[in-house]
Amino acid sequence: MFSFFARPRSHFLAFLLCALILPSATVVLVAVFSMLSQERAMEAAVSSYVQDLAESMSYHLSSDTDAWTFQMLSDFTRYPFFSWGPSIPGWVALTDHNGKVILASPGASNINAIWKPDLPVGQAVRITDKKGAQYTLAVYPVKRPSGGYVVAAVSWSNLLGGLVSVIRLWPVLIILITLTSFVSIRLLWTKLVIPLQALVAEIDSMTLGTDVPDELEDGTIMEIESVHDALMRSAQAAIERDNLRNSYVKDVVRAQEQERLDMAREIHDGPLQDVTALLQQIHMTLDEDDDESAEVRIRRAEIIAKSVVRELRALCDELAPPWMDLGLSEAVTELAERLSQGYDIQIVSDFDDASRELDIDNEKILSLLRIIQEAVSNAVRHGGASEVHIHFRMSGNLVTMMIADNGKGFDAANINHETLRVEGHRGLASMTERMSLMGGSVRINSKLGKGTNIIASFRV
Amino acid sequence: MSVRILLADDHPLTRTGIGEFVKKEPTFELVAEAEDGIKAWELLQSLKPDVALLDIRMPGLDGVTVAQKVKNDGLPTAIIMLTSYDAQQYVIASLRAGARGFVLKTVSPKELTTAINTVAKGGLYLDPEVASVMGEQDFIPEQLSVREREVLLLAAKGLSSKEVAKRLFISERTVQTHLASIYDKLGSRNKTEALLLALKYGVVTLEELLEDD
Repeated sequence: MFSFFARPRSHFLAFLLCALILPSATVVLVAVFSMLSQERAMEAAVSSYVQDLAESMSYHLSSDTDAWTFQMLSDFTRYPFFSWGPSIPGWVALTDHNGKVILASPGASNINAIWKPDLPVGQAVRITDKKGAQYTLAVYPVKRPSGGYVVAAVSWSNLLGGLVSVIRLWPVLIILITLTSFVSIRLLWTKLVIPLQALVAEIDSMTLGTDVPDELEDGTIMEIESVHDALMRSAQAAIERDNLRNSYVKDVVRAQEQERLDMAREIHDGPLQDVTALLQQIHMTLDEDDDESAEVRIRRAEIIAKSVVRELRALCDELAPPWMDLGLSEAVTELAERLSQGYDIQIVSDFDDASRELDIDNEKILSLLRIIQEAVSNAVRHGGASEVHIHFRMSGNLVTMMIADNGKGFDAANINHETLRVEGHRGLASMTERMSLMGGSVRINSKLGKGTNIIASFRV
Repeated sequence: MSVRILLADDHPLTRTGIGEFVKKEPTFELVAEAEDGIKAWELLQSLKPDVALLDIRMPGLDGVTVAQKVKNDGLPTAIIMLTSYDAQQYVIASLRAGARGFVLKTVSPKELTTAINTVAKGGLYLDPEVASVMGEQDFIPEQLSVREREVLLLAAKGLSSKEVAKRLFISERTVQTHLASIYDKLGSRNKTEALLLALKYGVVTLEELLEDD
């Protein structure tokens, strides 16, 4: 069922049917109405004609007994009624008072078939004969001693044959209109509704990022084609995006694995070796044949143990610096001082009052620390910088971190991030990613010979 | 009279090690042990020990927070932070919270004894590993000028060179020069270290550092 009132999910086909059927129905209704009124007008005209004819004939026959002739009967076209249009075939007859024809014009032969004794006099009536043919006829008395009647009649089938057949044609026309409507609906259905439904089904079943829509068949209408094209574009964009994400995930996984490898190597080369050495010292101490005194061995063990602690502490700092608990400005200062010692360069960190008091969660602090680490590492390794300034400023809820170095800079405008990524240099990309995870952004300004400025900002 | 000591650490092995040593020392008396910050704070309030050895990372309350509570409540206990972390910012944070000592867990018994005795007498003790001049054992720093002391104290409060310059009505460049001279005299590599060394050598006092401007 079409639900015209169930908004907003009105069926498309219902609208199409309405659009096609309403005009057709209107045409048919108007046609039926005009046909009926035409028939009424015709009947009125025919009635008055037969009445006039019978009346005037009866008058002539009554007043002038010698005047009525066949001549007059066959010449009724001179009566004013016929002057306006096509001649209307009919006949006139003179009967005696029993209905027996005394005199008749041609075509009046079947008067017996329609004659009824109770016909009203002086008034036109419409009657149907035994064969179903219709007549309009009028009967007037002749005021003569012999009596009798003048009967004037028009046969509808003879007189209005053409018109009647036109009226009969209407149902055919209506059927034709209905048929063409259905053909149109079918066309719309196959060319518009079905392709649209197919598109919807395709969109529903499509896995974004892997599928593209099937090619359209030939002869598809333009609008459907443009919808299909738009779908194709977004599907392809999704595939590209997915590919990008996959390669990104691959990068991240590779970086993670690399980090684990590095960490394992550091543990293996550092603490593990030291603890092994420690164990050896303990074994030697327990060995009765040992040349050295127990005290020397234990002192040696103490030194080794201290070195293990230092190495593990450094590892902890590298994995997740515990001191980021202290707050942003303390953590940044600590990192700056450590990096300054590690790279043997000058690093100045400074905060305005608002950013010094800033209280943000550890995750964000860690992100900022990582960006600083990356920036300083790049400044030293690639830029050969000897000074790095880290400024924090806060205005309103916008926090800005600027890292400026005095290194040799690079051509930031022509840097190819894709090449860098493929070569495994994810530094700049990871800065951007970290900031965007915080809802912020990074801008990198650098020119050869002018050092590098990294401006990271985020809102709190 | 012996020094009454509270030991708070969530690692049983550390507690046992440090506890054994403290018990062995005739002038020390281990009055209580706590395995978390909340217990430590309760014991501090009820026992009022002379010295408390607090771990920084503990469940419940961390050591720095406990120290801050002790300071706020004016308890007579001198706090020593006993930690695995060597970050100088932890030292600064602990000192700001009122701790008088900062000792790494790798400390030798001899050093720990010194630390406990020093803070018990109202002094300040910093582990050599967090405030030491590289390579020199008996380092006597050159005296800082009055201006240098001012610059160091302001810088230690976290002011940038620009702000220090504005405060002292001198140029930023002069501030940088002063800082370089301070680092040189104290043998430090940065602001925080300069401050710790200045505290260690008595160039500035903890009170000066903590006072508000």
